[in-house]
Amino acid sequence: MKTLIKFLGLAGVLFLALLLAVVAGDYGPWYFAWLVGTTMIILIAAAGAVLMETQTSSGRRDEEF
Amino acid sequence: MIDATVVELSRMQFALTALYHFLFVPLTLGMTVMLAAMETVYFITGKPIYKEMTQFWGKLFGINFAIGVATGLTMEFEFGTNWSMYSHFVGDVFGTPLAIEGLMAFFLESTFVGLMFFGWDRLSRPAHLAVTYLVALGSNLSALWILIANGFMQDPVGALFDPDTMRMEFTSFSDLVFSEDAQAKFVHTSIAGFVCAAMFMMGISAYYLLTRRHREFAARSFRMAALVGVIASLAVITLGDALGRADYLLQAPKIAAMEGIWDTTKPPYEPWKLIALPNDAAQRDLFSFGLPYVLTPLVTHTFDKPIPGILELESDAKPRIVRGIQAVLALHAYATTRDPVALAVFRQNESDMGYGLLAQRFAPDQDLAKITAAELPTILDLTARETIPNVFVEFWSFRIMVALGFAFLAVFAFGAYYSLRNRLERHPFLLKLTMWSIPLPILATEFGWITAENGRQPWTVFGWLPTFQSASSHALGYMLFSLIGFALLYSSFIAAELYLMFKFARLGPEGRAAHAPPQPGPTLAGAPGYADKPWQ
Repeated sequence: MKTLIKFLGLAGVLFLALLLAVVAGDYGPWYFAWLVGTTMIILIAAAGAVLMETQTSSGRRDEEF
Repeated sequence: MIDATVVELSRMQFALTALYHFLFVPLTLGMTVMLAAMETVYFITGKPIYKEMTQFWGKLFGINFAIGVATGLTMEFEFGTNWSMYSHFVGDVFGTPLAIEGLMAFFLESTFVGLMFFGWDRLSRPAHLAVTYLVALGSNLSALWILIANGFMQDPVGALFDPDTMRMEFTSFSDLVFSEDAQAKFVHTSIAGFVCAAMFMMGISAYYLLTRRHREFAARSFRMAALVGVIASLAVITLGDALGRADYLLQAPKIAAMEGIWDTTKPPYEPWKLIALPNDAAQRDLFSFGLPYVLTPLVTHTFDKPIPGILELESDAKPRIVRGIQAVLALHAYATTRDPVALAVFRQNESDMGYGLLAQRFAPDQDLAKITAAELPTILDLTARETIPNVFVEFWSFRIMVALGFAFLAVFAFGAYYSLRNRLERHPFLLKLTMWSIPLPILATEFGWITAENGRQPWTVFGWLPTFQSASSHALGYMLFSLIGFALLYSSFIAAELYLMFKFARLGPEGRAAHAPPQPGPTLAGAPGYADKPWQ
């Protein structure tokens, strides 16, 4: 039951996201670009940080930044 | 009679409060997104250093947010106190996005800011991450609604003037929200905020790296900020072009002033002026140097479309001023007699009413009915020149903003490159340059705002309501007193902000709960992934 509720919740979020994308894409292309772009900026910044952790743990850095 | 000095003082007061307020806004917009990114990494990896980063940068964000709110509150009241004619004329339309901003976006942001600061030990990790994202969304939604309101001032869509109520009234809410100007301006402004926040974090991190303090903390902050900075700088330049394109289509005088175009251009050779000394009084450049073949594709996105020059725009404005005068006279007649003939004359010339209101400033006793045939050509000349914003200010504020934007891209690109190679500390000049560049993006946004708002002059609502007609009829002493008061009060806010920012930035992240043992909890990388390496 818990899994079903979780599934329905996530499906609802997905539906809203698609609806937002369609509305924003049709009427406000720059708003849509902002939503996608900001998400991408956050993910790339996060990826950069995760990459630093990998560099650190692989010992390629020699205590230098 | 409208006192021109009172209008000028009202303008100065609004410009002062807006520019002071805008010192804080971009940093708030960008910092919230940076906090969301850092907490995302904390959520994914579980490493406590990212929690520490979110908390430390969150504290600096909190200082900026609190003082930014204090400077912003007065501005909403200023519309009513100093711009009562404007508020009456467009309150129905302009007030709606302002109210939504206050009731929805600002409340959302403020509520979740509290949870973000005080909820670390009270909320689960996913819940706290959601809260941080809601703060980022709320702050940017605040900006969205304000810029939708501003978009209406630049391109008044979604409303029509009603001669019975003597004000503009809504025809389409969606036209207002999805206006071309509002969209382009929101995206450009919001992303410019990301640039400000990225440079702010990079600069302070560079200071730590130079002084060899909190190196692990600073290296990670620098890396994330540099990556955000590179993408945001590229985006802000691209979106600036989109905004320029919208202005070309909607506000020809602004583009002509921004590019210092006195005579209509001759494509495709027309040079883009790198530097020039525009003389507003003589309506020509005292000196100019430009890059040939650049202006036409830059502004029109074609190689063959001419861009109307200031002299042509002034000439084109004259018939509109004549029709505008007829519209205003007919409106006055309709207001007193409700004569359907007067209404018909008004309807015929309605779209040029603003130009008639603009001419009122130059009419004898500011009464259009008193203009004689002999005076009309002079009034047409004066009013036509009035339709053009100050070219020197527009030209240079735009160029300073653009030059700074490209400089930021270079700094971010080098910063990201050396950070990704873990070679930052070998380049102290870059670190020093980054540190000293902290205020420059904020300065660039100020010049961007001047470009947008000076370029809209002489209108508060482009083409409909002149700035001269928009102000309240206060006494000169009242305006001087409040102007000096605001200048002193807001300067003290700036002093407080700088003092607190310097104090806490110098202190750094140490001395917080940072050194407490990490709390166990689920991570995407698998629990307890954070404990693999102590960070300090």
